[in-house]
Amino acid sequence: MSGRDSLRLCVSSRLRTCALPAHWLFAVAVLSGGLHSAANAQEQTKAQIEAVRAAALQASMEAHRKDVVPFFETHCVRCHGAKKQEGELSLEKLDPDMTTASAARWATLLEQITTREMPPEGEPQPTPGEIQKVVDWIRSEMKRSGKHLATRKEYANGNRVPHELLFGPGANAPFDAAPGLRRLSHDIYDAFSKDVGKNVNGLGNPFSPAGGTTFLDMGSPKIDEPVTTQLISNALSIVRNQTAWREDKGQLKWVGQREFQPLFEKDAEVTDEQLQTAVTAQFLRVLRRKPTDEELARFLKLMRTNEKAAGRETGFRFALAAVFLLPEAVFRSEIGAGPKDVSGRVRLSPRETAFAINYALSDRLPPAWLLDAASKGDLDSEEQIAAAVRRMMEDPKQQTPRIMRFFREYFGYAAAEDVFKESKENQDHKSNVLVSDTDQLVQYILAQDKEVLRELLTTTKSFVNNRLDPQGKKMEPGDKKKAIHKSYGLPDDWKWTADQPVELPKDERAGILTQPAWLVAFSTTTDNHAILRGKWVRERLLGGVVPDIPITVDAQLPDEPEKTLRERMRVTQGEYCWKCHQLMNRVGLPFEQYDHYGRFRTEELGQPVDATGGFEHTLDPKLQGDVTNPVEFVRKMADSEIVEQVFVRHCFRYWLGRNETPGDANSLQTAHNAYRESGGSMKALIVSLLTSESFLYRVPLARPEQAGLLTPK
Amino acid sequence: MAIQRRDLLKGMTLGAGSLVLSPMLWRMQAQAAGQTVASKRFVFVVESNGVRPEQMAPEGIERKPRRQQPMNGPAETVDVPLIGKKLPFSLEPIQKWIDKVTIVQGLSGRVCGGGHSNNFGALGCFPTAGESQEIRGETIDGALAKMIPGIFPHIGLGISKRLENSVIYNVSAIGPNKGLPTMCRPDQVYSALFGSVADGVAKQEFAAKNNLLDFLKDDVKRVEARLAGPEREQLAAYLETFETLRDRQSRLNEIQHTLRENAPVTNDKYTSAIETDRLDAQFDIGAAALISGLTNVMTISSAAGIRDFDICFTGLGLKKGKHSIGHGGSENGKTWAELYDMIRRYHFDLIAGLIRKLEAVPEGDGTMMDNTVIVYLSDGAEGHHSRCWEWPIVMIGNIGGKLKTGRYIDFPGYGQVDHRTTANFYTTLLQLTGSSRESFGVEDPTLRKFGLDQHGPLQTLFA
Repeated sequence: MSGRDSLRLCVSSRLRTCALPAHWLFAVAVLSGGLHSAANAQEQTKAQIEAVRAAALQASMEAHRKDVVPFFETHCVRCHGAKKQEGELSLEKLDPDMTTASAARWATLLEQITTREMPPEGEPQPTPGEIQKVVDWIRSEMKRSGKHLATRKEYANGNRVPHELLFGPGANAPFDAAPGLRRLSHDIYDAFSKDVGKNVNGLGNPFSPAGGTTFLDMGSPKIDEPVTTQLISNALSIVRNQTAWREDKGQLKWVGQREFQPLFEKDAEVTDEQLQTAVTAQFLRVLRRKPTDEELARFLKLMRTNEKAAGRETGFRFALAAVFLLPEAVFRSEIGAGPKDVSGRVRLSPRETAFAINYALSDRLPPAWLLDAASKGDLDSEEQIAAAVRRMMEDPKQQTPRIMRFFREYFGYAAAEDVFKESKENQDHKSNVLVSDTDQLVQYILAQDKEVLRELLTTTKSFVNNRLDPQGKKMEPGDKKKAIHKSYGLPDDWKWTADQPVELPKDERAGILTQPAWLVAFSTTTDNHAILRGKWVRERLLGGVVPDIPITVDAQLPDEPEKTLRERMRVTQGEYCWKCHQLMNRVGLPFEQYDHYGRFRTEELGQPVDATGGFEHTLDPKLQGDVTNPVEFVRKMADSEIVEQVFVRHCFRYWLGRNETPGDANSLQTAHNAYRESGGSMKALIVSLLTSESFLYRVPLARPEQAGLLTPK
Repeated sequence: MAIQRRDLLKGMTLGAGSLVLSPMLWRMQAQAAGQTVASKRFVFVVESNGVRPEQMAPEGIERKPRRQQPMNGPAETVDVPLIGKKLPFSLEPIQKWIDKVTIVQGLSGRVCGGGHSNNFGALGCFPTAGESQEIRGETIDGALAKMIPGIFPHIGLGISKRLENSVIYNVSAIGPNKGLPTMCRPDQVYSALFGSVADGVAKQEFAAKNNLLDFLKDDVKRVEARLAGPEREQLAAYLETFETLRDRQSRLNEIQHTLRENAPVTNDKYTSAIETDRLDAQFDIGAAALISGLTNVMTISSAAGIRDFDICFTGLGLKKGKHSIGHGGSENGKTWAELYDMIRRYHFDLIAGLIRKLEAVPEGDGTMMDNTVIVYLSDGAEGHHSRCWEWPIVMIGNIGGKLKTGRYIDFPGYGQVDHRTTANFYTTLLQLTGSSRESFGVEDPTLRKFGLDQHGPLQTLFA
């Protein structure tokens, strides 16, 4: 039997099953709300539903036969057919009716096709039109069958989505952001426990990042038992502090929260009102809202039960701690509310929007004005949201540490502090000062807010051994004893000045990638790490995908102290290694211009330094070619529009907390335009992202009556 | 290879969040493994900065560090009975139990990569090149915790050079990117493990906690019912944690009496700024936790991991940190090598104390120590700048006679036919719990080139 025949057989067998047994249809009709209709009308409804469903199934199977089967036959069945089932996948057996168990496999298939993982390199590639037909069919069948394709959370690596599907002419996949819940991030929980648990010792942070993502606060790791254990223990510690007496001159003095005091007075009856006041205060503190009547009633019940079982003091404390553990206190909600619009999307609720834009910029609970705006309907339009975002960024009282953190995580230079160096070898190295210098440079460039990426990549300015004194009044040397400036290539006799940033030699430095902090972050105890540097450049600026190191590879360079790193890297040029190393080596080696402390050098092991490198396999054809030194190398990338778009993709990932998918093309292009039209303003880029379709809308499940909100309506 | 039913059953809980085991599953697993839950115990003591091979041979055996290259040792395994021999200086504190001691030398762990610390790779046998703290998979203590989970499947105790660190993630993991915590503050560990029976309000707190968990279970269920799709799964996972904790409460309730009897008495050492004090306290709590049956797998980390390896043991009268000592620093008239020995001996003093306590508790026909194995090694393999060509290990205990102990075993050089790795050693431990696994971690690709089959346990260790 040919592949085509067997695929057809599969389709026709599906069509036959659409003649459903009568009792099934009855059940369907009942579920569809037919219960209250008269028997006659019920019959009619039944028939209508039957007709509509059968027609929909038939149309979908027909489209599958017409648009998908030929594609499979041309491009897939040779490896995934009856004879050979690579990856245990036979497309001939894959049921096109996704109401069966096949939907998950189709979702994987969709991912493989849209990211062009399949058909594999070296095989004839389908045209964008052919791909689109298959993609459209999978999407529509998923819709018909009530299986939500957006449940595939994210691709393992955002760069795997081909750039042209996001910024090219073929970027037209429908928007499909799934609703979701994310635990609080590590930093949000930190800030929360500092605010609410002020002066409480020993609060541990249970929310470690998921790991394996581009940025720390991405993905949605599930909460497991050690996390909850820590949350409970923290909540109890905080409540103990909120309900404390302190001895003062022989007298016990209440030092806890005012509203809680009546609950812990000796010998007094505690009224329901007092309990309600206490619970309300705790809700406001932890959730920034009042409890609903129903919630109040349940908490009151818990209070009284606990009082009986555990005595007043312990009982009330544990009940007050429960507020910290409510799902709403632990998760960020991005579910969306309200009716679907014409494109099948729902908007985040105003409260969700307020929390989302707040946590995009800050780690602390939303400011009062923002929650007010949400409840008054002042966050309904995109203009209003944009205004709120701008206010968040411009209000000097409002801290927005997440902007700075983006650059730290994107460039990764803060890791310099984790790289162990032998102090004997270079007495003038101090990693935390280098990191602080680069922090200040980023802040300086953000304050100008003009051509931010270009400046970050090309500036010859730098802060050198600079810090604010502990009183926060004036600048002073970061380290008074060490000659930190030697790392920047300044003359040995250079004297520290408060007039910073200073100019560095133009032919030696260009931007963050030539800052000692970045160079040290990508080094080892004794050496540069040209491979990791190359990987960084390939992924974060060139938008490429470097496969994970195969676990069968013993990734070690030979131990040959008499040879340069470039020479020792020859072992990566074997055929097997080169498949990946061709993506890293030549875009990492220009930084050999510096030693592993980030010092500019002209000689290495008695030979002139070889800092050549070059671009191959780039999305931007204009970049291709050799370079002779790091400054030329970095400047070339700063001129590339595609590099800028790759930067925008990373911003998207950071601020949306997930990888981009083809359905986010519109949001990404709008964000890039906003950046361009504003002359490279980071603020404009952030406003655009936080008011984008991807940020504000969700495409809910097929059965919206099941979906709800984390916060009671 | 046919999958055995009992492994399949165990495999049910191998996914993410597998610490979340219901008691029912624990029992099922235990039955599947054909044993009772409390019958085996593993304690790992992981000290930073490397264990020098030349300092680990008993009297009468000269052992030099091996060269850092293939074929760096003999083709034959050295297997010498320890009984009647004097243990090396640092191991003298456990001389009394010499019949239970196995000194294992000559294993390699090249796949880890080496450096000042191999971090999670040390117990996990996976690459951590450039001293990376990446968690590529489960570590042996995590794997054992899944096999023989106690009320707490795994307890990680330790010290950090920073007093303020309360919980760190450094050497133990339950799976890829899922580190197991090392609790570094003895006072907090005490509250977490014994707080429920520590003082007068214990009973009240216990009851209030039960109510709290019931309330939250109920609340999370209500919210869950309003949601659909992946967000519902998030809630389901959260709900499951409350169910597990509620179950644990019931189990702790069952053993309340035991906890009360065995809880350690806290003292100044629990909050001391001196590292050795805190480590003393952790061994104190660790023994009590084992005796109370709170766990079957424990890891005690003495400043293991890249962030802490250079700790300074001021409590031993030192001013130089381990990093300086690793670079040949001498102090108080002692050479760097003597300092290594002295610090290690302090750890074996603590281990001896633990053995003594476990021996004092009857279990079955013998004592708790009869069902316990203590494994001592360093996350820094064979030296300060490890390259993992060899990885000395000391093991005490024989698990009810399943191990043939009282021996000094030195495996052949790297690349020799009978050469073995730490992965083989960990496979041995796994098989002791009834697992039929034949490998652990990531294979050493270079050894494969030598044509070595890296599967299987260290058969010679079995009785």
